[in-house]
Amino acid sequence: MKAETVEEFISELQKKAERGELLYIGQDLKRLDDLEKVLGSPVYTNDLLPRNALYARLVLSKYPHALIKGISISKALNYPGVRYVLTYKDVPGLNESSTIIPDRPLFAFDKVRSTGDIVAAVIAEKPTRAKEATELVEVDYEQLPAVFDPLEAMKPDAPKIHENGNIIKHVKVRKGDIEKGFQEADYIIENTFRTQHQDAVALETETAFAVPKDDKVLIIGSMQTPHHVQAAVAKVLGWPIDRVEVIQAVTGGAFGPKSDETPYDVASIAALGALKTGRPVLMSMTREESMKAHTKRHPAIITHKTGVKSNGKLTASKVQIVLDGGAYASLGVLVIVRATFHANGPYDIPNVWNDGYKVYTNNTYTGSFRGFGAPQAIFAAEAQMDEIARKLNIDPLDLRLINMLRPGSRTSTGQLMDESCGLPECVEAVVNASDYRNKRKQYESQNGTVRRGIGIALLHHGNALGPEGNDYAYIHLTVERSGKIHLGTGLTEYGTGAISGLAQIAASVLGVPLDYFVIDRPNTLVHHETGPTVASRVTAIGGNAARDAALKLKQKILPVASKMLECNVDDVVLVDGYAFCKGKEGRNVAWEEIVKEAYDANIELSTLGYYIAPECKWDPETGLGSPYNQYTFGAAIAEVEVDMETGQYRVLNYYVAFDVGKAINPQRVRGQILGGTVQGLGYAMMEELVHKNGYVVNPNLKDYYIPTSLDIPENIQTFIIEKAGSIGPYGAKIVAEPPIVLPAPAVRNALLNAVGSGVNSLPITSEKVLNAIKSSRK
Amino acid sequence: MKSLLIKMNVNGVDREVLVDPDDRLLDVLRDELNLKSVKEGCGTGDCGICTVLMDGKPVLSCIIPAFQANNHKIVTLEGLNSDPTMQKIQQSFRKYQAAQCGFCTPAMEVVGWHLLNTEKKVDKNRIKEAISGVLCRCTGYYDIVDAVYEVAQQ
Ligand code: FES
Ligand code: FES
Repeated sequence: MKAETVEEFISELQKKAERGELLYIGQDLKRLDDLEKVLGSPVYTNDLLPRNALYARLVLSKYPHALIKGISISKALNYPGVRYVLTYKDVPGLNESSTIIPDRPLFAFDKVRSTGDIVAAVIAEKPTRAKEATELVEVDYEQLPAVFDPLEAMKPDAPKIHENGNIIKHVKVRKGDIEKGFQEADYIIENTFRTQHQDAVALETETAFAVPKDDKVLIIGSMQTPHHVQAAVAKVLGWPIDRVEVIQAVTGGAFGPKSDETPYDVASIAALGALKTGRPVLMSMTREESMKAHTKRHPAIITHKTGVKSNGKLTASKVQIVLDGGAYASLGVLVIVRATFHANGPYDIPNVWNDGYKVYTNNTYTGSFRGFGAPQAIFAAEAQMDEIARKLNIDPLDLRLINMLRPGSRTSTGQLMDESCGLPECVEAVVNASDYRNKRKQYESQNGTVRRGIGIALLHHGNALGPEGNDYAYIHLTVERSGKIHLGTGLTEYGTGAISGLAQIAASVLGVPLDYFVIDRPNTLVHHETGPTVASRVTAIGGNAARDAALKLKQKILPVASKMLECNVDDVVLVDGYAFCKGKEGRNVAWEEIVKEAYDANIELSTLGYYIAPECKWDPETGLGSPYNQYTFGAAIAEVEVDMETGQYRVLNYYVAFDVGKAINPQRVRGQILGGTVQGLGYAMMEELVHKNGYVVNPNLKDYYIPTSLDIPENIQTFIIEKAGSIGPYGAKIVAEPPIVLPAPAVRNALLNAVGSGVNSLPITSEKVLNAIKSSRK
Repeated sequence: MKSLLIKMNVNGVDREVLVDPDDRLLDVLRDELNLKSVKEGCGTGDCGICTVLMDGKPVLSCIIPAFQANNHKIVTLEGLNSDPTMQKIQQSFRKYQAAQCGFCTPAMEVVGWHLLNTEKKVDKNRIKEAISGVLCRCTGYYDIVDAVYEVAQQ
């Protein structure tokens, strides 16, 4: 506090005390973990590697589908510097590296199903030696017929990739009477949309090293879910999980793939290597290994059939989503659930019929990635809305205003929207900021070579896990004698700042400045298994556990302070690191003094906070019910400029609003919106991990483009709307994922406005735009 | 056994290091000299996060063979941590929360520092150009540009 006099100091304390538990909520407090980052301190996995370590490199499958007739490692083993070659024969426990469906071996043994399959790992004194020796591992393959198109793979006579057929998962939504809905319609509009493989490109690839420790193994790695990695490694080793200690190092980006199966692979290979050689082993994927072997965003083929009245009211929506799952199920069996539940967009439609399929193919496998099925689903749903508007000849904004979710309306699964539905406010914010109506008019009659367009897209995003699992979290708070507060949890930080947000919540409850907190590294032997750090759920779910832990700690602190201040417990107020007695602000004691007093009085100061979200109830046969406890809403407007001769375009302006319930730290909410938007612009405009006959054509950052600082829109405006949700702390909703969803449909619809014809597949390259221009001239 | 002896001035200190012919400058800086701020994101010269200064200019340490650094001057973030301009940049990165996962941060700061030390007047477009060789997947670049810009105005 910057107070000149005692009076000022007291009046500031009083002012802050009025905020009560909200003391620091909604403030841009800085993150606790960035000093080491800006200094370049050695905190990431590869920085911590012991000096005597060995290095592993992967032998990946040569064919997309083949039987393995034999593997010979002797030449590789004799190569200078090579210490070991791991294959399936070295797995003492279960040769399995999978999240939900046990369909993926760690090392291929009987057959390979994609060119991302791992056949062996060479362990050598230097990464270069290991790499060279991978060429010497001889694998005798017998090629099998393969299938790369998910629609082909669904046919009964398609090559079988696994025993039980190629459809991994079928998700349904059945609401109302779809045929009646189409009969009531004045128009029926049908379209097919396609999306591509997107690679997350966390700048740090998947990496882990293992150190043998007596009858245990220590693993340090880059990951989202240390407890899941622990269980996976234990399974491979055939050990009880307590003998595997996993510590999450500071993680250089994650975005979903680091919650899926690849972190299991690198940790298990490092562990096996360490146990075989008795030395630390680093399995740090090269960019090429990562882009071939890790999970990507599912390509999707999405067909929409929509019934609409001439007044714009939607009567029926029938959607089929087919996700190319690649060779393994991964967390993708949950991705298809989210995709199917969000397939119709944020609209109140009385009759709905959705079928979502996740299908095996011989492409490299796909899984968890920021947005988790929503980017594909919402791209198609929002493109379809603009096609409907075009058919009815009404403004796409008006079509949305007629049908969109607002308090009192129902989602595709019949879930009732209450006051926490802030979609109308999001729309209003971006429409006003962008001057949408005027620009739309202005762009109606353009003739030049360079033309502009403006387009809108909306979303709803079911919060946290919902149908994807039990939504719980533990947070430990431990106070040292010095007054420092340790926050420990199995939830992980990988850049969003969300774990600092947990400390911000605890600080706010305890009335202690944020800099009293330190965040402990997640360690599976120290922290409780606490569910995965996915679905943007740290703040909404973990925040409640942090609040719970802090409230429990406060209950221990208050009586001590009350004694020290000779004050009734109920009148003790904790603010900014001081306790005082209401009405007697002049006399106060500092947090450190209270802590010392507590310890001297034999009161230990540690608490465990816990929270589990209310169970989500829906019918798995019809999808009907409330699959999510609360929803985030968003709206974006993109404005583009197109060269009609080349099809080249750029995004000039981007306006985006999210209803996040309550922004615990608005600066970081904005950080997520900006980062997600640019990753989403990459998805919209340039990113495609191209597969050709099962081979990844561009597994490097030379040929796979992600946005650089020169690709971002000059003008981006973000708006935060706060309509409190029912479960998050202080009404907070999730925010990290939704921003990636809106750029693709908003840009697509802006281009439609500019050139008069829509592009229905991602990424929207200038070539596709040029084709659209040509087709609209016909 | 490592076979070549090279001499470099690294962060102001003369060093002699034994290297292999296939060692990259990146490996020597990280593994031999323990300068872990230098990160590897691709190993193919495409992401920029291995950027260091060689004779005062930004270079990609993952595509420079170590022996080519013989008799050259190398500066990494560790060598700039006590420089006043770098400290301002670091404070500004914290203020704007421009280090999210932080993996690109050392390279961004080094490139930003180099820009501010070589050009008098820089606007946001110039900063965008200067950092365009360094990828960031977390921030969307806006906060990084703002962080460098704030120091540029001082
Ligand atoms: S690691 Fe050197 S450019 Fe990517
Ligand atoms: S902060 Fe994560 S890559 Fe830039």
